[in-house]
Amino acid sequence: MMCRTGQRPDPHGAGGEQAPDAAFAALLEDSAEELYESAPCGYLSTLMDGTIAKINATLLGWLGREREAVVGRMRFADLLTVGGKLYHETHFAPLLRMQGEVSGIALEIRQADGARMPVLISSAVKYGDTGEPLLIRTTVFDARDRRAYEEELLRGRKAAEEAQRRAEADRARLQDALAVLQQSLLPDTLPPVPGVETAAYYHTASPDRLGGDFYDVFPVDGKRFAFFLGDVCGKGPEAAAVTSLTRYTLRAAAVHDPGPVSALSTLNKVLHERYTGSGDPRYCTAVFGTVEPHPTTGQAAVRLASGGHPPALVLRADGTAEFLPTPGGLLVGILPAADFVTATTVLSPGDTLLLYTDGLTEARTGRDRRGLYGDEALLAFAAGQAGKPPRDVVRALTELLRGFGDGLDDDTALLALGVPAPAPRQDRAR
Amino acid sequence: MSPLRITMRDAPGGPVLEIAGELDYASAPRLRDAVGGIALQPGRRLVLDLAGMEFCDSSGISTLLAARHHAHAAHADIALAAVPEHTLRVLRIVGLDQIFPLHPDSGSAARP
Repeated sequence: MMCRTGQRPDPHGAGGEQAPDAAFAALLEDSAEELYESAPCGYLSTLMDGTIAKINATLLGWLGREREAVVGRMRFADLLTVGGKLYHETHFAPLLRMQGEVSGIALEIRQADGARMPVLISSAVKYGDTGEPLLIRTTVFDARDRRAYEEELLRGRKAAEEAQRRAEADRARLQDALAVLQQSLLPDTLPPVPGVETAAYYHTASPDRLGGDFYDVFPVDGKRFAFFLGDVCGKGPEAAAVTSLTRYTLRAAAVHDPGPVSALSTLNKVLHERYTGSGDPRYCTAVFGTVEPHPTTGQAAVRLASGGHPPALVLRADGTAEFLPTPGGLLVGILPAADFVTATTVLSPGDTLLLYTDGLTEARTGRDRRGLYGDEALLAFAAGQAGKPPRDVVRALTELLRGFGDGLDDDTALLALGVPAPAPRQDRAR
Repeated sequence: MSPLRITMRDAPGGPVLEIAGELDYASAPRLRDAVGGIALQPGRRLVLDLAGMEFCDSSGISTLLAARHHAHAAHADIALAAVPEHTLRVLRIVGLDQIFPLHPDSGSAARP
């Protein structure tokens, strides 16, 4: 606490000289000899061969030995533990001979009862007038408190390292779990569909957030294959749970009735019953369809229905592209019963059907990222890819997505199904 | 990118929430909370005035639906006013133009 102005004696003034003088006088009666003997550290003088010539009472007290048993009878190294002796011989003594002084070396001295005591040792060589070494003066500091402090530090560090190791293991486990979950939301590979080529791509906006987009292709009977693609509103574990429910509901529904409206109606019912009244309503948009390759014509008949999903695109072999409109199809899961709209088309050789999620059309473009990529731009881009097989169309769109950079802030799924064009004639002629 | 701003006022038919700025994954919970905090009387109408809304993603759409749930749970009505063209396009794609009464402005939407 601060003293009030005027009450503190001025240390440089003439008034307060009596009291300090008296205290100094008392201190001066403490002889050099007594200071040496009972200093708060150990003092030790040895001959150059280490033989102890002089030792103070403090150090004798720490050692638990009598002066007569030490002076002239023991060497400095004899006071150390075995490890200390070794260190003294290999490092301490050579360094001292070279430099003339060594300071702050941590060693352990051996007490008479066998106990060890951690100390810090500093030594200096005293030289004669002609520069020849005469003796070694050594100071020994009690390092027990310091050692305890260091052990605490070490313990703290070990605990921190252990906590970090555990956190890393936990994180790795969590990443594994997320990866397994993510894999359960998407097929590893698409099954081969006779007479139809398929390709898919999934862009994850953030590795930490489980995706909300999904797609799948699977056989439903001897003739038809079902496919679907959609987008669950929201992100993260809750969205992933909806994605999982959606995927397996659509697969199961298609087993009973592969009709697109029937499958989406079943999904609508399941989502609505599961999440309405939960306080956290969940919905998705989805396109569900079937493709039925014709055994002889090489064409494939497509029937699909949409619930609130952007319209599919058809890329024709002749280089044109068109939307396959499904107007009025309602977001899946918001009403107890919803209307879904079907659309049909026939894929001829060289035609490709493209399904996508709105990450693509909602990607922000332009220098200030304020514009949206939009339907018209997508239609024009698709026309430029028309006539190419599905894997090339998906590859071109993947490049397009990559070009959006930061503008693509949502997950995006692509699924393309096409009937391969006949190989060009000149290829066969070769 | 402008932050979401929510302003509430009272109209003869019920409360009007003016929503301006961007309604997306990050800001949608704020609108959800704002709507959840409104005590609606049966028969009244909650109007969401979207005239100043610059962007609305799927999280935003979900929040509009949550507002609809909230209103219906209180036996109240809900309407959207002055829906911007970009959001109207999305509402049409997801079929919500059939679910929400849409009004050109909050004045006509709030009329009892």
